[in-house]
Amino acid sequence: MLALASLGLTVAACSDDATSSGEVVITCAACQQSPTDPFLQYNYEAAQRFNQQFAGTYRIEVQQNQNAGSSPDRLQYYQRLALADDLPDLFQLNSGEIKSLQTTNKLRNFSGDLNADPAWKDTFLPSVFDALSGDDRQIWAIPQQRDAIGMFYNTKLFASAGYAAFPATWAAFEQAAAKLKARGTTALAADGDWATMLIWVNLIGTQPGGKDFLTGELDSGDYSGNAQAVKASETLRAWHNKGWVNSDAFSGDFQDAAAAYLSQSAASVANGPWFVKTTLKSKSAPADLYHDTAYTTAPGWADGERGVIVVTGAGWVSGTQADGDKAKAVTEFAKFISSPAESLKQAQATGANPPVKVETSAIANAGLEPLSTGLAKTVATTKYTYPHVRVYGPAGFGNAWKNLWPAYVKGEIDTHKFLSRLGTDATKQAGAK
Amino acid sequence: MVASRVPPGMARPVAVSIAPGAILFTVFFLAPFAVLIGSSFASWGGLDFTFTGWDNYQTMVQDPVFWKAVRNTLFYSAVSIVIQVPFGVVVGIILSQKLPGWRTFRTVIFVPFVISGAAYALVYAAFYNSRYGLLNQTLSVVGAGGKDWLYDTSTARSAVAATFAFIIGFTVILVMAEIASIPRELYEAAETDGASLLQQHLRITLPLLRNVIGTCILVRLLGDIGMFDVVFILTSGGPNDSTVTLALYAYRAYLDGAWGYANAVGTTILLIGLILIVTVRRAFRIGERAL
Repeated sequence: MLALASLGLTVAACSDDATSSGEVVITCAACQQSPTDPFLQYNYEAAQRFNQQFAGTYRIEVQQNQNAGSSPDRLQYYQRLALADDLPDLFQLNSGEIKSLQTTNKLRNFSGDLNADPAWKDTFLPSVFDALSGDDRQIWAIPQQRDAIGMFYNTKLFASAGYAAFPATWAAFEQAAAKLKARGTTALAADGDWATMLIWVNLIGTQPGGKDFLTGELDSGDYSGNAQAVKASETLRAWHNKGWVNSDAFSGDFQDAAAAYLSQSAASVANGPWFVKTTLKSKSAPADLYHDTAYTTAPGWADGERGVIVVTGAGWVSGTQADGDKAKAVTEFAKFISSPAESLKQAQATGANPPVKVETSAIANAGLEPLSTGLAKTVATTKYTYPHVRVYGPAGFGNAWKNLWPAYVKGEIDTHKFLSRLGTDATKQAGAK
Repeated sequence: MVASRVPPGMARPVAVSIAPGAILFTVFFLAPFAVLIGSSFASWGGLDFTFTGWDNYQTMVQDPVFWKAVRNTLFYSAVSIVIQVPFGVVVGIILSQKLPGWRTFRTVIFVPFVISGAAYALVYAAFYNSRYGLLNQTLSVVGAGGKDWLYDTSTARSAVAATFAFIIGFTVILVMAEIASIPRELYEAAETDGASLLQQHLRITLPLLRNVIGTCILVRLLGDIGMFDVVFILTSGGPNDSTVTLALYAYRAYLDGAWGYANAVGTTILLIGLILIVTVRRAFRIGERAL
C-alpha cells in the first residue's frame, strides 16, 4: 500500500504541469537573463512579472539559447526549429527574419487576436504593424518597440566650430565637418555597419523619391540604377576620404564608433535612444559627456526637411497555432508586454520607446531619460520618416555591406559595381533564389 | 576474411561489442557524410529539396568569389608550409640543445597554440586598428605612416596571414619530442668523424625528422583548408572578398539559405583536403620508419 502511494506521488510529481495544476506553461526563447543585453534582461524581468501576475494560470518557461539576442545565426536557428515543428511559444525576430520564416507556415498570425480586441489594437501607434505584416494582412508579430533614430552630437565640439545646434541640412553639415576637421575633430563616428548604414539610409531618405527606394527597391537585387542610392553612397564615401569620419570606421563593430564619440574625438554619431542607456551612461563614458550631448533628427538635403528613421520592425512572434490553451497564454502575454505600463517600464530599463500610445502625463511621471525620449516626441512633426534599412531591407544586409564598403571607400570598386553587388548580395542574404 | 579469425562462439560477443561504435560511426560520420555529398547535388534551403545534378558545382566554378576563396585558402596554406613549419623546425632544433632558459621559451612559444582562434583574432584586430592599434602607434613613433591593414585590399590578406604565420608551438613540441628519441650514438659517431653541429643536424636530424615535418605540414594544411574563425572575426572575408576562405564562402552560402550549394563547397573542401593528404603523405613517406 505504501509502495503504491509512493508510486502515485511520484507519478503526480512528474506529470505535466498543465494537467496537474491547470497552469498552462509556455516557452520563451527570448526571455533569458543577460548581463550584457539590456533588452533580453528586460524580457526576462517582464516574463517574471507576467508569471507573478498570472500565477496558477499561465507560466513562462525560459529556454536558454545562444540566439536569443540579435545575431546572424538567429534566423537559421529558428528555421531549424520550424523544420522540426518545435518552435518556441514566444521568441523575437526582426521583420526581415519574419519574411523568411513566414514561408514555413509555422508562425502564429496575431491578426485574429487583435481584431477580436479592438481596444487593444487601438493602443498601438499608427503603422507599427507595417513591417510585421504578410501579403494577406496577416500580422506575424506584436511590436516590442517603436524608436526613432537620429543623431547624437557633442554640443561643446560643435560650439567650438561656431555651431549652436546640429546643422539642419547635409550641405551645412559638410561645412561644419570641414571646420571641425580643421580643429582636429572628426565630424562623424561610424563603424562600417550599423551606424554607417543609418547615415546612408538618411542620405537616401532625405532625397525626393528616397523613401520609395527604401521601402521598395531595396529588395530589387541591384541598387546601381537608383539615383538616390548613388548620390548617398558617393557623398558618404567623400566624407571618409576627406577625413570627416573616424579612421577605424570599417571594422563593423559599433564599439569603434561609440569609442570615437566617447573619447570626444568624434563630434556626432547616428543611433537610436538605447545609445544613451547602453553607451553614453556606461562606465567608459566621461561623466560630463552626457551633459554635452544633444539628440536631434538627422539633417535633410534641403532646409526644413530633416530626416528620421523609425524602427518598427522587431517584435514578438510565436510558434503556437493549434493548441488553444497555449494560444490564449501567448495572446495574454502579448497584451501584457504591449500594455502602456509595461512599455514604460521597458523604456526606463532600456531607453527604447514604446510601440503603444502613452499619455504624455504618464511619460512625464515615468521620469524617462530625456535624451532618449526627445526625438520620439519630434517624430510626429518631422517631415520625413523612414523605415529602418534592416527592417524593410533584406535580412543580413550588413554582411554584404561590411565586405564591400571598405573597398568602395578606398576606390577599389566604383559606385556602379558597389551598388550592383551590394543589392545582389543583400537580396541573396534574404533568401531569394 | 575477418569472420574466420573470430574464435568459435565469439561471433555474437564481438558483434555486440562492435555495434555501439559502428552505430555511432554510422550516425555521426557516415550519415552526415552522405547528406553532405548527396545534398551537394540538390537545391536545398532546409524546406525544399530538389536534385539539380551538377548545377551547384557549375555555379561554383563560374563564381569569381569562389576562385578568390580557393586562392586565399591556398595562400594561407602556403604561408604555413613556407614560414610556420620551417620556422618551427628550426626553433625546435635550437630548443633541443637545451640552452639556458629553454623551458621558459618553450612555454612562451606554445601559449599562442592553445589560445582560442577567436580570442587570438580579437587581440590582432586591436593590434591592427588604424586609430589606436599598437602597430600604427609604433609606426608613428618611428615616423612611418600607418595603414588600414585589415580593410585595404592590398594588405588585408597578408595581415590576416601574419596573425598565424608564427604560431609554431605545435611543430616545436613535435620536433623536440622526435629529436629526443634519436639515439645519441649517431651524433657521437658523427662528431668523432669531425662533423660540425650544423652538419650533424643537416645530415642526421633533418632526415630523421621527415615523418614529423610531414605530419606538421599535414596538420597545418588541414587546419588551413578549413580556416574560418580568425578570418571571420578579423575581416568577415572582406574587403571585397580579398580574405575570404573556402570555409567562410560555404558559411555565407549557408546563411543565404543555399544549403545544397554550401554543401557543394564543403564537398570541394573535402576533396582538396584528401588530395593534399595523399600528396603530403607520399612526399614525406609518412608512416614509413625513418630509422
